[in-house]
Parts: sequence; structure tokens; C-alpha cells
Amino acid sequence: MSRILADIMGFGRQYLRSKVGAFFTFGFPILLIVLFGLIFSPSGTQKVSLPVQNLDGSSFSVAYLNELNNTTLVNIRMIPADANITNYINDNSLSLALQIPVNFGSKIVDGLGSNYSGPVLVTIYGDKSQSTFGTAVAAVQAASVSFNYKLSQTLPLVAPGVQGLKEGYQFLDYFLPGVVGITVMTNALFSMSAICAEYRQRGFFKLLATTKLRKYEWLISKFVFFSIILILSLLTTFAVASAVFDTHSTITLLSLVMIPAGAFLFVSLGMLLGVAIKDPESGNAVANAISFPMMFLSGTFFPLDAMPDFLQVVARAMPLTYFNNGLRDTMVYGNTGGSLINLLVVVVIGVIFFLLASRLMSWKER
Amino acid sequence: MSEGLIQVEGLSKHYPPDVKAVDDISFTIQPRQIFSMLGPNGAGKTTTVEILEGLRTPTSGTATIFGVDVTKDYSTLRDRVGILPQSFEPFDNLKPTEAVQYWAGLYDIKMTKSQANFLLERVDLTERKSVLSRNLSGGEKRKLGIALSLINEPELLFLDEPTTGLDPKARRDLWRLIEEIRKKGTTVFLTTHYLEEAEKLADDVAIMHKGKIVARGSPHDLIARYGKMTVIVLSGAGSEALREIRRRGIEATEENGDVLVPVKDPTEMRAIFQKISGIELQAKDIYTRRQTLEDVFLNLVGAKMDEGDLKP
Repeated sequence: MSRILADIMGFGRQYLRSKVGAFFTFGFPILLIVLFGLIFSPSGTQKVSLPVQNLDGSSFSVAYLNELNNTTLVNIRMIPADANITNYINDNSLSLALQIPVNFGSKIVDGLGSNYSGPVLVTIYGDKSQSTFGTAVAAVQAASVSFNYKLSQTLPLVAPGVQGLKEGYQFLDYFLPGVVGITVMTNALFSMSAICAEYRQRGFFKLLATTKLRKYEWLISKFVFFSIILILSLLTTFAVASAVFDTHSTITLLSLVMIPAGAFLFVSLGMLLGVAIKDPESGNAVANAISFPMMFLSGTFFPLDAMPDFLQVVARAMPLTYFNNGLRDTMVYGNTGGSLINLLVVVVIGVIFFLLASRLMSWKER
Repeated sequence: MSEGLIQVEGLSKHYPPDVKAVDDISFTIQPRQIFSMLGPNGAGKTTTVEILEGLRTPTSGTATIFGVDVTKDYSTLRDRVGILPQSFEPFDNLKPTEAVQYWAGLYDIKMTKSQANFLLERVDLTERKSVLSRNLSGGEKRKLGIALSLINEPELLFLDEPTTGLDPKARRDLWRLIEEIRKKGTTVFLTTHYLEEAEKLADDVAIMHKGKIVARGSPHDLIARYGKMTVIVLSGAGSEALREIRRRGIEATEENGDVLVPVKDPTEMRAIFQKISGIELQAKDIYTRRQTLEDVFLNLVGAKMDEGDLKP
């Protein structure tokens, strides 16, 4: 018994002194409960961002929008009335939109009179594979029921119609870019922070400093290496998803450009962490602490729209958000413009991290 | 003094608030020699070497190798200098052949597999060339380190404590290798805290203590200058023998039951032995004890050195 106790004490001490062990025992579950709690808290779950195009402009359509707002399920933002809704949805990589038709008000008036010819359809453009779609449909149905009841009590003056977006696409199509995103982030970030710490601890940096290899050459070689293996990872993941799950998202030239950009960003971030981290174990703990929130708050698993407003603001500060969005724009929505903007953001953040890391990292002793 | 391959003048490295790792040292090293910087842990050996290797910046003083200021133009020396850093460890997941080829690439040298294997043969690693480096023994790892440091066929080779922590056999193997390297005309700058190593290998020794060079010369010179004379030891002879020896006018002391007879001038050895042989002694053994660098170090520093640590 005393030996068992001694072993528990000895092993326990070692385990808890291990920063990785401590992180996964205490830090990780706390992080998960906090993140999921915030994402799925009552204040945050139901509100879905719903872009609305009002082609009518009458007091009836305004009243209808008020009903929609009263459901508390959606945050309404307006789409310009002169925009082509299909183009607007594509250009902005939207997965949801609502269109109130022309003459909405006059048809309501007609319906209230003697010329009732059926309900006016408000069209929900939505991607049925997204979790936000159901919430939006429920909100529009509730608003319509309430609107109808207030005006006529009997006639269904307004009813929702659904126009599917990306028919044939499934959740996995939207999830795939997220999976690629976290693969790029974890590989580059974890590897580089651990490599930097290990190289410093074991004297490899000093060893390299004695050769002709320059620091920037070493950094470039890491960037190129990770770009190559991560492009291969993207192709493999894509092939498996297509073959096994019949996904419809596509690998575009831009998606292949996004990978090196992401590798550059996260290799640079890993190097920056590696500058401050003294040993590989601490490197893993710090990389975990940074990557896990990013994983959950960057739209990898859940649409950003499903999060409370303040978390959406946090998500906008996460580099992975732009990488995920950029990949999703080009692979799923075919939105080249949006993807290019996200690519630019990724590159700019990467350059900032790279310059900082290059400046702060030293292979030599002071 | 003639211009040396390495010239160091007034070199210091201080760390705040008041640590003087290297404290105003000057020395010159001639080519084709094994120069050994000998001293305990913390004496400032590695700091000195790393300044010469361009890895640290000195607080003051100058250091040149082949006439090049190491603080300004070290990069021009990389083709001519090989380095085995202290506590060298190879990359775990590379085999020795792969490690040599990889390292050659970092020096812009295209090395074929057979050329890499030839280099490994030189350091006696042929049989282990296909084993992952993490599975090599401590001595084999150091041999691989030396192979890497020889990739550019350097004129000057820095070996920073190459045998620390190795077993006696591995240490002797490396000594043989270092001697062979010197025979091929390479100048070797060797730091060590093993007195025996410096005495066996070095042509020129600098004893370093608390950041300063406290003695400099060949092992023979240092022993002659700072060592005591050779001693005849009458093992277990005891105090009665001591009295008898002294009565015959021979200077002697007693240490743990042994009688020690110092021989100040080697030419007196025969005469002293003759005098002693006339005394009836109960000695278990009679032998001479030659002075070593260990005695020199003890005399200079006032402490013995054990695995780099000072022991009173």
C-alpha cells in the first residue's frame, strides 16, 4: 500500500509538474467549458444574423420587419434594395438572406380587401446544411404568424418560401476548410514553437550559427517545408472527403495559394512564441493555450453568426478566422473577391509576426 | 611574440551586475598545434571559445583568427574553422550519413553518400552510419560531432570539452582521433577540465581560473615551473624509517605512513637511491612519483579538480 502511495505521489508530482499534463488536466477542460458556455449561452445561441432585402418599402414591410425583430431570434441587417440578391449573397459569402418582394404592401392590402389570392411569399435564401438556417426559418415563420394574426386573424397574408443555396452541399463542405485551417495552424504553430524551444535548449541554434546558414534562410526553409506538406495535407483531406462523403466543395488555385499564406502566418507566430519559450514543454502548453480558443472562435466548427456579438468581435481579432473564411470563400462560395481580401489580411498579419520574430530571435548568446 | 593563428588581446566578457566571465586575457596560438585551455567549470573557457567562434560579443578587447577580427568579420572564417560545441548533441532522427550530408549542405558543399561515409570512416563510425543518431552512445555522438566539424576541412578546429561525460574508453578513442587530426596539419583549440587530457594531447596549455589565465606553457614547462620535484615514495615505511633517513642527511617527510623523499634535481636521483638502499627499511613498496599537471593545478589554484568541479 505504501509503495502504491509512494508511486502515486511520485508520478503525480511529475505529471502535474509537466506543463502539458497540467494544461490538459486543468487548463483544457476549463477552456472548453468557458468557450462552449459562451458560444451556447442563452444570450448567444438563438440570435442569428439575417441580412434582409426589402424591395417594397411600404409601412407593411416595415411592420413585418418589426415582427421579425420581435422574435429576438435574428439580428437584422439590410441589403441595399438595388442589389442583385444572388450576386450579393455570393460576393459576401452569405449563408442566409431574406427578401421581401416588390409590392409586398399592396398585395397585403389586396388580401385584406376582397382580392385575396394567397399569401405573399417572403423568400429565405439559405444553406440548409448550416445550423443557422433552422433558426432563421423559425424566426420568419413566427414573424409571419404574428403579422398575419395582427392584421386579419384568419388569412395567411404572408408566408415564408425557401430558396436553397448551394444545393447538394452538406455540412462537411463547410467544415472541410475549417479542418484544413486547424491543420495548418496546429502543424505550423506547434511545430515551430516546439522546434525553437528545443533548438535553443539543446544548443542547435548555436550549432547552426557556426555554419553558413543564415537565420532568414532557416526561416524560409521552414516556411517552404510547411507549405509543401500542408498543401499535400489539403489534397489528401480533400480527396478523402470527396471519396467517402461525396462533398462538393472544390480545390481552387486560390485555395492552394491560401495554404502557403497560412503556413507563413502560423510559422511566424510559432517562431514568435519560440522566442519567449525556454523549453519544448512550455512551448506545447503555450501553443495549446493560443490555438484552442482560436480553433473554436474562428468559425471552424460553428458559424460566427451563431456566437454572441462580443465573441464575434473576438473572432475578428483571430488570424485563423481570416484563413478559414478565405478558404471557405474560394472552396465553397466561389467568392474570389472575398477570398483575396482574407488572403491579404492573412499575409499582412503573417508579415508582422515574421518581422517581429526575425528581429527578436537570436541564435547567439548576448 | 610572432603573429599567431589566433591572437587575443585584453579580452573581457562581463555580465551585469559584476560577473567577470572572462577578465582581460591575452594569448597567441601558433598553427599546427593542440592548444588546450584547461580549467574548472565556470573558469571562462567556453565563454572565451564562443567569442572566438563568433557566438558571443566581448565586452572589451580584440580577438583575431587568421588576422580576421572575429567580432566583425567572422562570416569570412566559416570555410576555415570547424567547431564542436560544448555538450554537442546530433539531431535525433538523422542517421550519421544523413547528418553529414545535411551539414555539408549548410556549408555549400555537395557531398555524396560515399564521401560522407568516408568521413565517418575517419572518425570510426562506419559500423554505426545507418543508426538513428538518438541511438548512438555518448562517445559515438561526439565522434559524429567531430565528423560534422571536419566537413569543411578546417585549418582550425575548436573542440569545447569534447570528452566530458564519456567513459574512459570512449575518451581514449577521441584522444586518438584528435591526435590524428593534428597530424594532418589542423590546429586544434581544445578546452577541457581533464588535466590528464591536456597533459596527454596538448602542445601548449593555458590554465584558466576565475576568468583569468593563471599559467601558460607546454605541460612539461608548467610542471617544471609550477610543479614540485619528483618524489621517491617509501610506502608504509613509517616514522622510524623517516628518522633513519633524516639521520643520513636526506630531506624527507611523512604522509599517511609513507615516507616521501623529494628529488630537487633529477641528477641527484641515483645518489639518493644509493643512500636509501643502505638503510634497513620495512617499506611495502618503493617507487617514484612524477609530478603532473594535477600537481601544477593544485599548486596554482589551491584545489583539486574533479569532473570540472573544484575540491579542496
